[in-house]
Amino acid sequence: MTGPRDLNAQIESLVNRLRRRQVVGSWCVSIETAMLLRQVVSATRWNQVETLIKVVKEDVGRRLVMAQPRELAVGNIVCRVLRLIREKIRTFSFYGGSGTGTNTQSSMINLLGDGSPMGAKRASPLIISELQEMINELENTYVNIIDQAMEHIHSNEIIMTVGKSRTVEMFLKTAAKKRKFSVLVAETFPTYLGHEMALSLSEAGIDTTVISDSAIFAVMSRVNKVIMGTHAVLANGGLISVSGAQMVATAAKHHSKPVVVCTGLYKLSPLYPYDEDSFNDLVAPDPVFSFNEGDLIDKVTLLNPYYDYVSPELVSLFITNTGGHPPSYLYRLINENYDPDDTDI
Amino acid sequence: MPPPSKTSGKNLEAESILQAVVLADSFNERFRPITLDTPRCLLPLCNTPLIEYTLELLAVAGVQAVYLFCREHSETIKNYIKKSKWSRSYSPIKIITIVTPEARSVGDALRELDAKQLIDSDFILISGDVVSNIQLEKVLDAHRSLGESPIFVLDTKTNECVHCESVELYPRKRRMTMDMEVFKKHADVQIRNDLIDCQIDICSVEVPALFTENFDYQDIRNDFVHGILTSDLLGKTIYCHLVKDVYAARVRNLHTYNAISKDVLSRWTYPIVPDSNLQEGDSYEFMRGHIYKEKDVSLSRLIYVSIFEGLIIYVNNTYFFIISIRSCSLGEKVLIGAGTEIAENVKITNSVIGRRVTIGPNVEIDGAYIWDDVKIKSNCFIFRSILANNVVLEENVIVKRGCLLSYDVVIGPNVTLEPYTKLTKHKKTSESDNEGEESNENKAYDSTLIGEHGQGYIWSDKVSDTDDDEFDTKNIQIAGLAHDISNISLTDSDSPPSVIYESSSDELSDSGESTTEEESLKEFFKEVSQTLERAFLDGHAVEIASLELNTLRMASNTTFHDLRVGVIPTILGQIDIENLLTSAEEILEQWGPLIGKLIHSRQDQIDTLYILQDHCAITQHHAKLFAPTLKKLYLLDVLDEDAILEWNSSELADNDSSKSSIRKKVAPFVKWLEEAEVEDSDSDD
Repeated sequence: MTGPRDLNAQIESLVNRLRRRQVVGSWCVSIETAMLLRQVVSATRWNQVETLIKVVKEDVGRRLVMAQPRELAVGNIVCRVLRLIREKIRTFSFYGGSGTGTNTQSSMINLLGDGSPMGAKRASPLIISELQEMINELENTYVNIIDQAMEHIHSNEIIMTVGKSRTVEMFLKTAAKKRKFSVLVAETFPTYLGHEMALSLSEAGIDTTVISDSAIFAVMSRVNKVIMGTHAVLANGGLISVSGAQMVATAAKHHSKPVVVCTGLYKLSPLYPYDEDSFNDLVAPDPVFSFNEGDLIDKVTLLNPYYDYVSPELVSLFITNTGGHPPSYLYRLINENYDPDDTDI
Repeated sequence: MPPPSKTSGKNLEAESILQAVVLADSFNERFRPITLDTPRCLLPLCNTPLIEYTLELLAVAGVQAVYLFCREHSETIKNYIKKSKWSRSYSPIKIITIVTPEARSVGDALRELDAKQLIDSDFILISGDVVSNIQLEKVLDAHRSLGESPIFVLDTKTNECVHCESVELYPRKRRMTMDMEVFKKHADVQIRNDLIDCQIDICSVEVPALFTENFDYQDIRNDFVHGILTSDLLGKTIYCHLVKDVYAARVRNLHTYNAISKDVLSRWTYPIVPDSNLQEGDSYEFMRGHIYKEKDVSLSRLIYVSIFEGLIIYVNNTYFFIISIRSCSLGEKVLIGAGTEIAENVKITNSVIGRRVTIGPNVEIDGAYIWDDVKIKSNCFIFRSILANNVVLEENVIVKRGCLLSYDVVIGPNVTLEPYTKLTKHKKTSESDNEGEESNENKAYDSTLIGEHGQGYIWSDKVSDTDDDEFDTKNIQIAGLAHDISNISLTDSDSPPSVIYESSSDELSDSGESTTEEESLKEFFKEVSQTLERAFLDGHAVEIASLELNTLRMASNTTFHDLRVGVIPTILGQIDIENLLTSAEEILEQWGPLIGKLIHSRQDQIDTLYILQDHCAITQHHAKLFAPTLKKLYLLDVLDEDAILEWNSSELADNDSSKSSIRKKVAPFVKWLEEAEVEDSDSDD
């Protein structure tokens, strides 16, 4: 058990690291968030479940989400933890056993009346062990995804990918152990993440070709399927993915090639995009246009979006740690994982 | 953007904490009169105090202890730090404020640091107004493993900085001198002036001690770096770390303030942008067109009419044509703080609006920096100016470019402020460092200038720059005017040049010649000739005269070239024309070596020849002097034959008859030299 002061320092440190982008990558962010929330739950003394929910949601969760609103994984994890707490309390209370998500409102109302410290004392360790389970699941995300590699990649296929995604990288490498196929990597200007991806794949012995972004459409007709990673999956099935992904997905649509997205469920966000700019991140325009151009930079507006929004119609399949799902099924996953009360943190 | 770092072979201990020294005082007065009320490091840039940017940079780099040096307004800074998130018990950075009221320069601050014995490991030295997204960790790593735009001369292999020279806009520098040693030691040398010095130094423990030893060091760049580089005795080295594709700049003056604000708004400094909400409680959101809005901003109607003007609405089979919706419009690069209310028909472009500002109807704002709690009433027009906290503009006020309204000033109604007006609530006379030449002493405010309800005094820049880099007044003008350099006829472009232009300052200076510079040069020449005449009269030794001249040169911050321009005509003036040959022989025998003392290289020799030529080309009378002088100087070994030949072979300006006649006069002599040369090389064979 850590003292509240240590805990505050830990929260502050994560908030700062998130804000300064010192923790990057959705996976690292979600693991860190989950660990911190486990600490928060175990350190908080509570008699009524609303106290605990308030602490997790408003005191800690909100600060973490505000620290880096573009890192949707933070909000996802906070939501999942909240859902988990609600669920556990629900099954634990005397309405328990029967209530599994169907009669949310009524059981909650009853529960709030049950403010016995004894109940809290008994529920707390259960919640913590549940949280631990969630962390374990997060840690095993990759394993669960790459186990499905064999079902999706077949011999002599040509696969296109864009950007650098750890999930996709491991996915392809696993498949390459048994099957022989070739990969086309779009270089992904201006970050050139495609170069790194290609290097890593070719080191693993996969037949890899780097193509320039402008060649994506031209070679699409030869490609069997597009496999890509994503930064986040929105509630409607749309993706927030590295810039260039939208072009790849559109080209694939034109040629009727399947677009397969490998993602852990922790990237699934209960939020809807209200326009293409929401959740996007505009980074320094330096790589697009050098600051040394001097005169010109005062006269033009330079935008360098880091992400693309890929609409759900362009995606054929999500391969998650719980198996493959079409975009139309995501609403179900969201209902299973998040509580509607927590969508707005 | 190379932060030079100093190592002495001693590396950081892995477990020792990383320390940083932040100079919260700029040791100059370029932000007056605003800095009368607030220290520079707390001035808001895009609604965030400058020091936050610096501390953030240090926090990212993993600095654990920060020593903050303050001089003026130390209490304000202390209070600010105390209230900020940095002083919470669990803050990763510990900030210790040190007040040094007597420090007048960076050097003083560092000596103080040494005296207090606070630093026990290598540290980062940075001033409190740096905005940057440099990954200092990488630089630090480089420093551990190893151990301006000004012109930097770098060894390409080791990144050792071997020479560094600062370039001011005025006086122009056309040449620089470097020690030949440099080329002997370093096979591969790069000379660059495309670098921007972001004033971040990583110093080894010995640095403060060195400052104590060399008590005359004032400035890090001009004195310290130069001192280290030129002195063999110290045996220290300075390394530069070149960083590409990152942003770093220092808010030195109003001009850079403007440029950096623009850069922050157009996200060059990412991730240090408004919507990453550096300060706690900030809630900026980014919108298309580089518009940043905090929560609780009330814009009239919230419609960006500029786009939707002439909107056609189709209702119930009828077309409604809406001619114009009266509302406010936000252009590009606008930042608006929380609690601000903007009335209808307001136009804002390229501006930063602080918190709790009220802007009345029909106001137009372009390129302005409006700080917190400002009230602007209807029909005002503000162009490229700064309005500090609590300024009130009454109806119908026009603020033209470059104005600076300090805290609590009230203007209007119905007033037009001329460009570059600076207004403050403080009376000039209360300042001891400036002569109280202000006319309205103890009088009420000048109502013709600032309107009936106006409150405030004109602030005129009698700049007494304590920065010790002897500034040309012109430089100050450029720095201060901030918003429009074109007004001083330097460039044609109307847009304010961005910070990157610092590096191309030579270019800028080519198109304009300043009268002030000429005046100061004239003054300098006068002093040179007076010094020389004293020397002639008293019959000083050449060494003493040369020492005096050199001191004079340093005092007025001129070059050897200027010195030669002053000295040569004066010496030639001593020659008695009537009795040309003997007199020339006599005078030059004695004073020729003095010219020699001012010459250090072949280039200098050629320069001398040109000066000589120019002087002698003034009249027919002077022309006679040329041949004997040249011969004598050659005999005295002041000028060597290579230089003379090179000069002779250089092209003359067209139809310059007097100069070509001079050339003709020395033709036999040159010919003789050429032959001697040939013979020389023949005999070598």
